[in-house]
Amino acid sequence: MNLEGSHTINAPRALVYASLIDPEVLQQCIPGCESLERTSPDTYAMTIRAGVGSIKGSFNGTVRMEDLREPEHYRLVIEGKGRTGFLKGSGDFDLIEEGETTVIKYSGEMQVGGMIASVGQRMVLSAARMMASQFFTALEKQTIERKR
Amino acid sequence: MTYVGQRIKRTEDPRLIKGLAHYVDDIRLPDTLHVAFVRSVYAHARIKSIDASEAQKSPGVVAVYTGKDVAKVGPVPCASALPDLKVPDYRVLAQDKVLFVGHPIAAVVATDAYAARDAIDLVAVDYDDLPAVVDVEAAAKGGTIIHDGFGDNIAYKLTAGEGDIDAALAASDHVIKQRMVHQRLAPIAMEPRGVLARYFPGEEELTVWSSTQIPHLLRTQLALMIGIPENKLRVITPEVGGGFGSKLNVYAEEGLLGWISMQLGKPAKWIETRRENIQSTIHGRGQVGYVEIGCKKDGTLTGLRYNVFADLGAYHQLLTPAIPTLTGLMLSGAYKIPAIQINVTACFTNKMATDAYRGAGRPEATYVVERALDLVAAKLGMDAAEVRRKNFPAADEFPFHTATGLDYDSGNYEAALDKAQGIIDYAKLRKEQQEGREAGRLIGIGVSTYVEICALGPSAAMPAGGWESATVRIEPTGKVTVLTGASPHGQGQETSFAQIAADELGVDLNDVTVVHGDTGIVQYGIGTFGSRATAVGGTAVLIAIQKLKEKANKIAAHILKADASNLAFEGGRYSLQAARAAAVMGESEPVIPVGEAPAGALPEPQTEGRSSLTIQEIALAAHLAKELPPDIEPGLSATYFFEPKNFTFPFGTHICVVEIERETGEIKFLRYVAVDDCGKVINPLLVDGQLHGGIVQALGQALYEEVVYDDQGQLVTGTLMDYAIPRATQIPWMELDRTETPSPVNPLGVKGVGEAGTIGATPAIVGAIVDALAPFGVTHLDMPVKSERVWNIINKGEN
Repeated sequence: MNLEGSHTINAPRALVYASLIDPEVLQQCIPGCESLERTSPDTYAMTIRAGVGSIKGSFNGTVRMEDLREPEHYRLVIEGKGRTGFLKGSGDFDLIEEGETTVIKYSGEMQVGGMIASVGQRMVLSAARMMASQFFTALEKQTIERKR
Repeated sequence: MTYVGQRIKRTEDPRLIKGLAHYVDDIRLPDTLHVAFVRSVYAHARIKSIDASEAQKSPGVVAVYTGKDVAKVGPVPCASALPDLKVPDYRVLAQDKVLFVGHPIAAVVATDAYAARDAIDLVAVDYDDLPAVVDVEAAAKGGTIIHDGFGDNIAYKLTAGEGDIDAALAASDHVIKQRMVHQRLAPIAMEPRGVLARYFPGEEELTVWSSTQIPHLLRTQLALMIGIPENKLRVITPEVGGGFGSKLNVYAEEGLLGWISMQLGKPAKWIETRRENIQSTIHGRGQVGYVEIGCKKDGTLTGLRYNVFADLGAYHQLLTPAIPTLTGLMLSGAYKIPAIQINVTACFTNKMATDAYRGAGRPEATYVVERALDLVAAKLGMDAAEVRRKNFPAADEFPFHTATGLDYDSGNYEAALDKAQGIIDYAKLRKEQQEGREAGRLIGIGVSTYVEICALGPSAAMPAGGWESATVRIEPTGKVTVLTGASPHGQGQETSFAQIAADELGVDLNDVTVVHGDTGIVQYGIGTFGSRATAVGGTAVLIAIQKLKEKANKIAAHILKADASNLAFEGGRYSLQAARAAAVMGESEPVIPVGEAPAGALPEPQTEGRSSLTIQEIALAAHLAKELPPDIEPGLSATYFFEPKNFTFPFGTHICVVEIERETGEIKFLRYVAVDDCGKVINPLLVDGQLHGGIVQALGQALYEEVVYDDQGQLVTGTLMDYAIPRATQIPWMELDRTETPSPVNPLGVKGVGEAGTIGATPAIVGAIVDALAPFGVTHLDMPVKSERVWNIINKGEN
């Protein structure tokens, strides 16, 4: 399934970009993220608690950053698996300067399997949208705090 | 009294209603271990590694088995033999690859079911995922190959039929083409599968309780899978809460449970969850086909071709490849079609196997033919009923040979159509429809004049024998025991077979007990499926009794000091002809009720000076064996294995009337009339029940049900939240009636009715919806016809 959208952050592009690739920021912004540890220059081991409806669980996996073109683009590839199934996704982030603000355009695709797919698939997309919204709200807060 | 033909309530029901029946899970043995399965979350992946060490340490866990432990068990059998059929090696646990979501990978054995369930989460499976093959038409073209070594995903190709189809279509005034989808369905038996296995190491005997339709075939196959002598293996089928074909199978779990019990020397139990049931119990249907039908200007049919892609799933279960061949056999429907051809391309996909689900290939055929007839009617501007009537074989044309190679046993299709049209007042209904249309109402009428193939069947046409067995014995106290090989799973054979036996023996219905489903007690049998139990198994009961009576006649003659040919059997007793004449005059002879004998003493039959004996008295005499003819062995029982010479072909007319709400797209049933002809009827109540259930399952396919895998092969409809089966409020009142055309194939004259509803009803329902939407130019809609689709047609002009 595909996920697309955009979010405007009231901060300059360079700062937003720096936040987006900062594991400390990401850990605080990704909903349910319990740990994020660098394992190689662009790869992180992640533990995330996520779910749909009553199907919740921990996923262990990796987050990889690809195609880094500071300060306008990068690609995030996520793979995780846990007791309730697996998830795989990738997303492209494009940062566009609009005056003092930055528009983040994102477009990605996601695949889920296991119990999440058979029980909660109908709700996965709306859950993912909600997580995206939580992520950007937190990102904005973190970035603005950094700006100060 | 006579019992056959009476609406007798099922003797099975009190125990079911009171919750006193025993299903597999109700059987509790001490020290039972419980099994849970780790199943693939991928549709197609290579297994890189399995780490069960954590699970093994989990509280209560006794053992964890993976593919390498059970490489020598199995394979899961496929009984279908077709030319050049590719049969993948289907091991009971995945070896190096998983091929569908739900594919069992490991079995966790624990001291209780909860410990086993918890521990499956601790088994770490590392996968390397591969592209999934989901769409059956894409699978036929190649791309990713599911079974390394087969070269493609085509399990077999088959062309069948008689007549020159190309010439027939070329000579037609019109040739109409249509793509049709028969979506995958989940059988959803109310009781999921369940297996309990108990091995006695000393006696080297294994008993397997399983919720199955085929205890004896299962025993044979399990003996081969597990490697235990068949005579050391007993399969017991307790109460079965529905099967619909899904338990006409041999599953990996059945073999595994037996093997696990043998490994650990303790009973082992597995009860399927509903999620497992939807993932890894067989699915039904799963065809995408292209029909071409030719006709003359006057509606006379000239030829029919059906090119079909059959979605078999990843592996063959017991009869998987055979199902599309049944579709091919029934493509003549109830019509004279001079040339017919089916071209099957059966493909592997990364899904659970399809196999027999109520109707098993025939609903697909009936749907194709009936929808095609509607397309012909629409093309020619003819009435749907009239185009059918025009192409019926007449009642005196039976046995009727079809271009699919069958000989229909008997039929009177016009009589059933006439009766259904009479009940619904068809002419008036069409007029009301027209008036309604003018007033803006969307009323539709669907007609289905189906024929189906039942009473499977002659052994030559069956993978494992088409006969059925019965043993009938009369115990010393006069009680009658009927052992049938046709193990039922909800059909009510304990009642209907008792009716047959009670009539033939002239005894009270309550004196007859029908025993089934235990290979340790019942002689080898085939099972209940393909609407065969009454026609084949019931006939076996009848003929076994006739054999038994030949012996009873001789014993009676000996005791009454008469010639056997001078005795007449009537009302449960053998009488001297003279005495019988006297009885007619009102001088009946006293009978000593056997049951009222003094406690502890076997009542000696009083034989001196008698002119008649009841068959129950004869049974006692046969067991006491003091007064038997010299060439007669003691006891009174007989066994018969009945082999039918042909299938039977029930038929009927279903007429469905719907009205569609413009604002919501909701489909409302106004009338549903079904006139079915299943030959002679043993118990009309059971026949009505079969039709009610069958029509509801057909309605489920027509409107709601659909097993959906996404493009990655993930099963999206994994629970009953997402897989929509009809509810009581969604079911119309069904007006049922019958015509009765006896089958010449068996002495009971019965045909079979278990699947008639699912076969006859889907095209009537879809036909009615299409007819209602005809003003929008609709000529065909694929199932399930959801309100959303209907709404879009009405309100957005989507067609």
